[in-house]
Amino acid sequence: MTTVSRSVGPLLEIQGLKTHFFTQDGTVRAVDGVSFQIGHAKTLGVVGESGCGKSITSLSVMRLIERPGKIVEGSIKLNGEDLLDKSDEEMRDIRGDQVSMIFQEPMTSLNPVFTCGEQISEAVQQHTAASRREGMDRAVEMLSLVGIPDAKRRAREYPHQLSGGMRQRVMIAMALSTDPDLLIADEPTTALDVTIQAQILELMRDLREKNRMAIMLITHDLGVVAEMVDEVVVMYAGKVVERGDVRTIFGNPHHPYTQGLLHSIPRLDERVDRLEVIKGTVPSPYNLPTGCLFKRRCPFRMPICDVAPPMRQIGEEHTSRCWLTPAGEAPEVGADPTPEEAEAAGEQLTVEPR
Amino acid sequence: MADRTYDDVTQLPVDDTEDIDRTEVRSYWQLARRRFVRHRLAVIGAITLAVLIIAAAVVPLVVENATGVDINKSFAAAEIVDEEGNLVLALLGYSRTGINMFTQLMAATATSLMIGFAAVLIIVFIGVVIGAVAGYAGGWVDNLLMRVVDIALSMPGLFIIIAFVAFWGASIWTIILAIGITGWTTAARLVRAEFLSLREADYVQAARALGASPRRIILRHMLPPALAPIIVAASLGVADSVVLEAALSFLGFGIGAEQASLGTLLNVAFEYLNREPYLVLFPSIVLILIVLAANFLGDGMRDALDPRQRVEQQ
Repeated sequence: MTTVSRSVGPLLEIQGLKTHFFTQDGTVRAVDGVSFQIGHAKTLGVVGESGCGKSITSLSVMRLIERPGKIVEGSIKLNGEDLLDKSDEEMRDIRGDQVSMIFQEPMTSLNPVFTCGEQISEAVQQHTAASRREGMDRAVEMLSLVGIPDAKRRAREYPHQLSGGMRQRVMIAMALSTDPDLLIADEPTTALDVTIQAQILELMRDLREKNRMAIMLITHDLGVVAEMVDEVVVMYAGKVVERGDVRTIFGNPHHPYTQGLLHSIPRLDERVDRLEVIKGTVPSPYNLPTGCLFKRRCPFRMPICDVAPPMRQIGEEHTSRCWLTPAGEAPEVGADPTPEEAEAAGEQLTVEPR
Repeated sequence: MADRTYDDVTQLPVDDTEDIDRTEVRSYWQLARRRFVRHRLAVIGAITLAVLIIAAAVVPLVVENATGVDINKSFAAAEIVDEEGNLVLALLGYSRTGINMFTQLMAATATSLMIGFAAVLIIVFIGVVIGAVAGYAGGWVDNLLMRVVDIALSMPGLFIIIAFVAFWGASIWTIILAIGITGWTTAARLVRAEFLSLREADYVQAARALGASPRRIILRHMLPPALAPIIVAASLGVADSVVLEAALSFLGFGIGAEQASLGTLLNVAFEYLNREPYLVLFPSIVLILIVLAANFLGDGMRDALDPRQRVEQQ
């Protein structure tokens, strides 16, 4: 943690990240040209359906992609240093120290044969010169910080003796025990019931202020996003389709997919017989449509959608991967992409042989 | 009671710390011991095995000439102290040739158990190393090692051992080594299977995300949870090895009379089956006891060491 690099540029800057999986049935472009950044102490929400590449993006940041997956292109800069250039050993020092991660399943993300305290202590000892004893002290301190009553006692207990919410608190305690700059939270509340969810989110918000830590929050729960984040990245089929600050995304969504997502939230203040859904399903990763990936499900489909749209500026700090005009209207009939846009769409203009 | 309202209840003075569960925290090993003790057959197995081990270790030491022949004692009755006042512990009397059958049996048990345990050490060591590497690395490493296992499995173990013994001579150590290097395949497969599933376990992923090295992940996060199947395999392995050695000695390829094992005793006894059928009886009983006890012990330990098992409330 160098204070020098803190002031310069964003904390995390992902540029054109491509993570592909080379399976026997063909190449799956799980993450295909994703770019975004997270500022210091900011919270970014990454939203999208299952399989859109959210989790793979976060695992790519941690460099935890395993065979047959591979990061094929792009850069992931943390405090200005490209993580993709780091050796495995350097990466191990960064993981858990500068970047921590908490997972979706608190029930299974703790090792059943060690006490909670031992596991937190292990993370501390890994990254600092702390002794076993100091590690345990830190563990107890962290456990009370995340609101676990009687922390001393809980530190000596095994994961199976704790409830789901408690375990997620332990996970958070473990992730934060080394004071990371960035916390990646992969659906941290999905497996928890609603009251516990609220508590955990509250806790994360609290700790973000206390530790001046940035959070990358991966979720498909838009309610959580509205409550927690500064900026939103919407992903679809491995690509970012819309990006903007949280007010813009919720108040004035541009991409039809984002609109669909927002529409499909059930509302308490209206009587509805059927929930609105986005028709169709996510395209098979082995058989992506040419052009816009969302066109088969899109209510605004136009002829131009057969050409892959680039990320286009919609407003200040608001971009969207859609041919609709910023006002949300169809572009003039027969309008071709401008030369710049055609260029920005780049290789996607050529149809790849399958 | 009926006219009490919800407000009354919420206004009761509440001691904040009252909710805290104050039951005593037990460590993993305390819990494991409790679970083990509840498993009655396992406890019986453990005691049987312990008694056999102690008897086998002590009896040949305290009795002079434990396996000697004294023709004057042919068919003599059971005695603990002979007429000269020496401790003989001839609990089973003497055979036709005047051998103290109990002390001979215990000496043979010692040999058999030693071979069993030593061979299992080798089996577990090779099995865990190969299984762990294959399961953790996956991919072509796994493929290669598992094909080696297949090859090792496709060869008839007993014949390999016989060839081994024929080549290097039938000492205790060659037999241990021979059993060890032919018996590791099952252990390797078990450990590999366990590691393959543990590799995908969320907490292993979480450990990786915290920057743990492969060595640390294997030793701290994968080996302890895999311990239960390893221990079961080991206790079954003891039984198997003892039986295998007995078979070997029974066939005459094992250890000779000078350091007789249970198998050797059976081999000799078989010759006199018509005249002295009881000679077969006692080594067989001890053999069965060892096998049963080791199996029950393994069973109990598997249940006890599984951290997901709870101690049932009583």
